[in-house]
Amino acid sequence: MPSMQQLSILVVDDTSVSRALLTDSLDQIGLKSFKVAKDGEEGLKMMLTAPCHLVISDFNMPKIDGIQLLRALRQHTPTSKVGFILVTGKGDKALIDEGKKWGLNNFLAKPFSVPQLKTCIEAVVGKLT
Amino acid sequence: MTAAQPLEKRVHIIQGEFFVTTDKSVMVTTILGSCVAACIRDPLAGVGGINHFLLPGELGRGKSNEAERMGVHLMEMLVNGLLKVGARRERLEAKLFGGASTVRSHSDIGKHNAEFAQRFLKAEGIAFVGGSTGGPKGRRIQYWPVLGRARQILLAGQTEIEPPVKLPAASIDANAGELELF
Repeated sequence: MPSMQQLSILVVDDTSVSRALLTDSLDQIGLKSFKVAKDGEEGLKMMLTAPCHLVISDFNMPKIDGIQLLRALRQHTPTSKVGFILVTGKGDKALIDEGKKWGLNNFLAKPFSVPQLKTCIEAVVGKLT
Repeated sequence: MTAAQPLEKRVHIIQGEFFVTTDKSVMVTTILGSCVAACIRDPLAGVGGINHFLLPGELGRGKSNEAERMGVHLMEMLVNGLLKVGARRERLEAKLFGGASTVRSHSDIGKHNAEFAQRFLKAEGIAFVGGSTGGPKGRRIQYWPVLGRARQILLAGQTEIEPPVKLPAASIDANAGELELF
């Protein structure tokens, strides 16, 4: 059961307003230890430099999309077991199935509410205390 | 005798929808009251699109409140849709329409919708190139996404508030299994 202070999170989204919505939601949940990356490429670099416990990533991004980021993280030992939540514009089953092949831990369809985000995170990391 | 003009293709969208095309003969129509439509295109790539949204609930409590999620979602869907068919983010240009004042509500929902759209464009670095927002009357919009041409027809009389579409329940897997933290 992780504490809110213990859990480090990386938010990856190429839309700055969506990043703000996500970090604002994390803040409302009480999760304060988060970093942001403006696209998959930056997210991968940040994770390889200093891994977080959990990645919450958008799918649609230039250069490296959410699934490609997941695959890259799973192929590097230091990041192979981090939690990964994919945020998608729609609950696309084929996309989720593809993600699951690469160890996707959970997914969340936009637009989501703060309680839905919390439920999604807790399903991956356990009840937040 | 003149050469036959290709037939114009018409598409109508309603609140909660967006549409993207690379076909310059497509003309999109929508009817706006307090809702806002963002008409965005990449003139170089020859792609364009439009959305139609209304932020639900109380507004103006900050940049990242619950009510803005539907607006952000529809703006993002439109921008992503454009990028998928060849647009480049740095070349995008937008026109905004709608956001009329409403009769039944004393709150200025239309104004907040238009302000939200302006804030989104600014935050994402999308050039604002015109349009028409505010005022007491609803609008019928005709927009040729690839050409960037837009026409508005003001509707007679004051407009009434449109009920916002309900946010769909987000899909999540609540039993995804716990992760061992390192």
